[in-house]
Amino acid sequence: MSPFQSNKNILSLTEDILVRIYEILVSESDRKSFRLVCRDFHRIDSLTRKHLRVLRIEFLPTLLHKCPRLQSLDLSACPRIEDGVVSLLLSRVGPGSNSLSLGNWTRGLKRLVLSRATGLRFSGLEMLARSCPFLESVDVSYCCGIGDREAAALSSAVGLRELKMDKCLRLTDVGLAKIAVGCLKLEKLSLKWCMEITDLGVDLLCKKCVDLKYLDVSYLKVTNESLRSIASLLKLEVLGLMVCPLIDDVGLQFIEHGCPSLKVIDVSRCEGLSSSGLIFVVRGHGDLLELNAGYCLPELSTALLHQIKNLKHLEVIRIDGARISESSFQVISANCKSLVEIGLSKCVGVTNMGVMRLVSGCINLRVLNLTCCRSITDAAISAIADSCRNLVCLKLESCSMITEKGLFQLASFCLLLEEIDLTDCCGVNDRGLEYLSKCSELSCLKLGLCANISDKGLSYISSNCKKIHELDLYRCRIGDDGLDALSTGCKKLRKLNLSYCNEVSDRGLGYIGRLEELSDLEMRALHKITGVGLEAVVAGCKRLADLDMKHCEKVDDSGFLSLSYYSRNLRQINLSYCAISDTALCMVMGNLTRLQEAKLVHLRNVTVEGFELALGACCERVKKVKLLATLRFVLSSEILETLHARGDNHRSWCTAAQLTCCLILRLYYERQPLSCHAHGNPPSTEHRQRTVEMAKFPHYLSSANFFTIGRFIDGRPILVACNQPQVH
Amino acid sequence: MDLKDKVPQHPSFTQHQQKWEDPSILDYSTRIGSPFLAFNQSHTSMLSDNRIKAPVQDGVVNQLVQASKVQDWDPSAMLDNLSFLEQKIHQLQDLVHLIIGRKGQVLGRPDELVVQQQQLVTADLTSIIVQLISTAGSLLPSGKHTLPAATPSLEQSGQFGGVVFPSAQGPLNDGFQPQNAGGSKVSGLPNSVDISRKNGNEQNHIIEEHELKDEEDVEEGESLIPGTYEILQLEKEEILAPHTHFCTICGKGFKRDANLRMHMRGHGDEYKTPGALAKPNKESGSEPTIIKRYSCPYTGCKRNKDHKKFQPLKTILCVKNHYKRTHCDKSYICSRCNTKKFSVIADLKTHEKHCGKDKWLCSCGTTFSRKDKLFGHIALFQGHTPAIPLEEAKAPAGPSDQGDGNQSTNKVGSMNFNFSSNVSSESEVQSSTDIKGSIDDPAGYFSPLSFDTCNFGGFHEFPRPPFDDSESSLAFLLSGSCNYPQKSED
Repeated sequence: MSPFQSNKNILSLTEDILVRIYEILVSESDRKSFRLVCRDFHRIDSLTRKHLRVLRIEFLPTLLHKCPRLQSLDLSACPRIEDGVVSLLLSRVGPGSNSLSLGNWTRGLKRLVLSRATGLRFSGLEMLARSCPFLESVDVSYCCGIGDREAAALSSAVGLRELKMDKCLRLTDVGLAKIAVGCLKLEKLSLKWCMEITDLGVDLLCKKCVDLKYLDVSYLKVTNESLRSIASLLKLEVLGLMVCPLIDDVGLQFIEHGCPSLKVIDVSRCEGLSSSGLIFVVRGHGDLLELNAGYCLPELSTALLHQIKNLKHLEVIRIDGARISESSFQVISANCKSLVEIGLSKCVGVTNMGVMRLVSGCINLRVLNLTCCRSITDAAISAIADSCRNLVCLKLESCSMITEKGLFQLASFCLLLEEIDLTDCCGVNDRGLEYLSKCSELSCLKLGLCANISDKGLSYISSNCKKIHELDLYRCRIGDDGLDALSTGCKKLRKLNLSYCNEVSDRGLGYIGRLEELSDLEMRALHKITGVGLEAVVAGCKRLADLDMKHCEKVDDSGFLSLSYYSRNLRQINLSYCAISDTALCMVMGNLTRLQEAKLVHLRNVTVEGFELALGACCERVKKVKLLATLRFVLSSEILETLHARGDNHRSWCTAAQLTCCLILRLYYERQPLSCHAHGNPPSTEHRQRTVEMAKFPHYLSSANFFTIGRFIDGRPILVACNQPQVH
Repeated sequence: MDLKDKVPQHPSFTQHQQKWEDPSILDYSTRIGSPFLAFNQSHTSMLSDNRIKAPVQDGVVNQLVQASKVQDWDPSAMLDNLSFLEQKIHQLQDLVHLIIGRKGQVLGRPDELVVQQQQLVTADLTSIIVQLISTAGSLLPSGKHTLPAATPSLEQSGQFGGVVFPSAQGPLNDGFQPQNAGGSKVSGLPNSVDISRKNGNEQNHIIEEHELKDEEDVEEGESLIPGTYEILQLEKEEILAPHTHFCTICGKGFKRDANLRMHMRGHGDEYKTPGALAKPNKESGSEPTIIKRYSCPYTGCKRNKDHKKFQPLKTILCVKNHYKRTHCDKSYICSRCNTKKFSVIADLKTHEKHCGKDKWLCSCGTTFSRKDKLFGHIALFQGHTPAIPLEEAKAPAGPSDQGDGNQSTNKVGSMNFNFSSNVSSESEVQSSTDIKGSIDDPAGYFSPLSFDTCNFGGFHEFPRPPFDDSESSLAFLLSGSCNYPQKSED
């Protein structure tokens, strides 16, 4: 008898064997299947898990407790994380009172993503930095409140190699200096949009962090002096200088003689540059791999071309917006043999002949962007298909001379094609889509404004391109049948644009509801759909995170109520011009706890009280609300202040927790609103008493909780508003 | 003709005359024009070479044209030169008058005479120019005072030659240059003269400038040979006396200028004149005086005359400031910052202008008025970081002290209890928890730089060494410790 027969149950395998088995599984879906087998298998998954991305902060403590070997923690989907939460997470897991034995999860943590965590402040960051001894990579991008103190807290993570601080608006040179002095091992630093950073900070950074390999100072007001400092970085490989308006050719001259390891440079949209500046860069760095010079050159001059010729290893070149001659294509094609990506978006002078010459030499091309190169025709596409068999991405927006013949060629040879943009290519028809459906790897297809395609064409795509996850059908003449085919074929669809597809009705949306992966749905101005259709969508697409239903005027409250019930993962919503009522708006804004951005203009059925109520219910967590400007004068100042404070341009120091502390809760019905009169049922003193009791515990009472209490009282929402901050 | 006899007087004349014996010489207007333009050209070339030199020549031209206005600053040789030039110009003027007069009377004269006269005029002009330029070269170093008169004088010189050419400023003259091919040899000469003169006077010139610059306090750079000046040493009491007027002979100080003038009478009869006793009109210094330097009475000081590498002080004011700064207590304390001390009240006033603006603070406690200075400091010293300003540091910490956390934070022992109670509510955590978390582990919480606080966290019974005043600027340097002193007091 073999030993395997005696062990009839797979669960009798020991833990380490199970771990080994699990580790052999590579693909994420396989692992998912594995952990769904049983509790033990799930435990194995947790034990060995190295990466964790949490969608809801409520489950974070238990999840972290279960995953002791975590190396990477992504909290970017929980923007509401705050110092208090951090402190809780760090203290909770340790047994007893000894807080020195912090949670195991921090022990091995190397990577931490805190992107968009606007509530996080220095104490939380410092705790994190101190408790994770092996922290190597931190992402605090778009944490608009992060300033110098937070940077100082981060700088205590001395082992830090990677730091992403994009759009940390309050960060100044002082904070940068803290990081530069504290994290001397820094190799990768992104400072995009940190508008307060100046040359002094960059200079100090370059003096202290000499190991920098990646530096992004895009959008900063740095001058040539910064480039002089940057040029001294011997190990720098990637340099991002996008939209640095104060940089000119003199600055790039420093780069010519410095940065000996430079491989990638991005100077796109730098207004001060001319081709002579780029000549400096190219002349100094013969083994450049990537040159991104989009929208900074009026034309590709022969002198620059002469230098580019020497870049034998160049893989990526983007010269969007430049004028380019046919002979230039010949030169590039003959010399830059290793090109993988060419960006010619909005270039003037791109002709069939030019493209033919270009692709004749660049056979390794994988990405080709010909957006708005309007003069190219099927001949160019044929040449591309003929030469570039490895093509993965082709962008042909507004190339309206392309017809099904070109697509036929493309589909015959470029079988690896994953992404194609045919927006506004009127020559594309159902036949063309039939050809295109041969590209079974296709994952992103954009057909916006293609007026000549119908349900038939869509059915070809649906039946063959199973991997599509992004589909743009903006203003296409697509009906319910097309969506039927789509929902049966393209199960992986994550992003769908159905705006202005006027034929689509509730039945079509019912099919959409079958797409379980769908997270991003744009369906503006679908005049036929009603609440029934919306309900079908939100009930089916549980992952929906971004919904745009502007001008869907027939959708009634039943739809919105189901939206507020089902779409708990919704992060962005556009309800402008919808016929939503006060109640429904309050339900939506109050119940969708993960909502961050809402566009609420021209809601004709919503009263000022309705807005006040709805915003009061969500003002603490939304980051961006679009409202009519006139509302500014009628909304209560507390709500406006809170919205300002929580917004992306967050300037005050108040965190959400402090705000909650400072709230005085005010009951709406004391003001005798419509809702109470409508019921003819003024709330009893008992109810009032109860609410006030709750108000004594502001920490436990988020507005959302209070909103539910309000519903409990009389079935109608009660306004929770924040009055003057109260000091206890 | 007597004029003819005078021509060979100038040595360079014959040489030049021969050189100009070319066909173009027949054209009178060109010839008149060319030497001046040649001069002119040399002037512009110098203008481009050295901007300081150019106005000097203009000044000289000015002096030559208005010969009577020659200043008596120069040795007699210069005066000789100038008077010779004046003579020459008068002769030439006479000759030209003569020619004009004859032209009116007799038109059909033989050509030889006209040519002869033309040659004479040319020769005289040449000699004048050469003389003028060489004189100008010798005038160079002190010529800078005539700078404001530069442009108009040049125009005058142009009128004098009978040819009005554009005033020689900038590139206007470039168009004339091809015309001057013949005259460019002349321009070579003044250039060389000019340079040789310049080298000779260089040193003197620099010293002059230095004196102007360092009126109040001479620190370094003066290289007077010992013995060439008189050394005065004031007594300590004299220096510290609140005097502002000092006798230039004996160094005695007075509160009032009138007292000084009375004192001066004792030094000799020349001070007894009504002119000397009246208020001075700043006209002193015309006659050469002995250079005076001062010595510091403090033995061992570098400014003391017995020191091996003695460096004298230039004025009495220098002595006063030096003595107070170096050898006296710093008794003036800045009322704003209460830290900076000065011994010279002027220094305090200077400091007070900037005090409080030193908002750029390093972790080592040094303050800087400018951000770039701070960053330079940080770049220089390892481990130093900029400190974050106080207001900002307190802002986030302030509100969190309020609320219900206030009592519990004071009791260190109760914090674990608080934790466990918070656990039950996962979503809403008091903002005070983070502070409690920070108390738990002070040693690990503070940055390595703040070692004093680390020690403090470890040994509570130890007295706090330097941080007696929690309000001092150092207190908030320790990252995250802003709450700390308050709690530890309990």
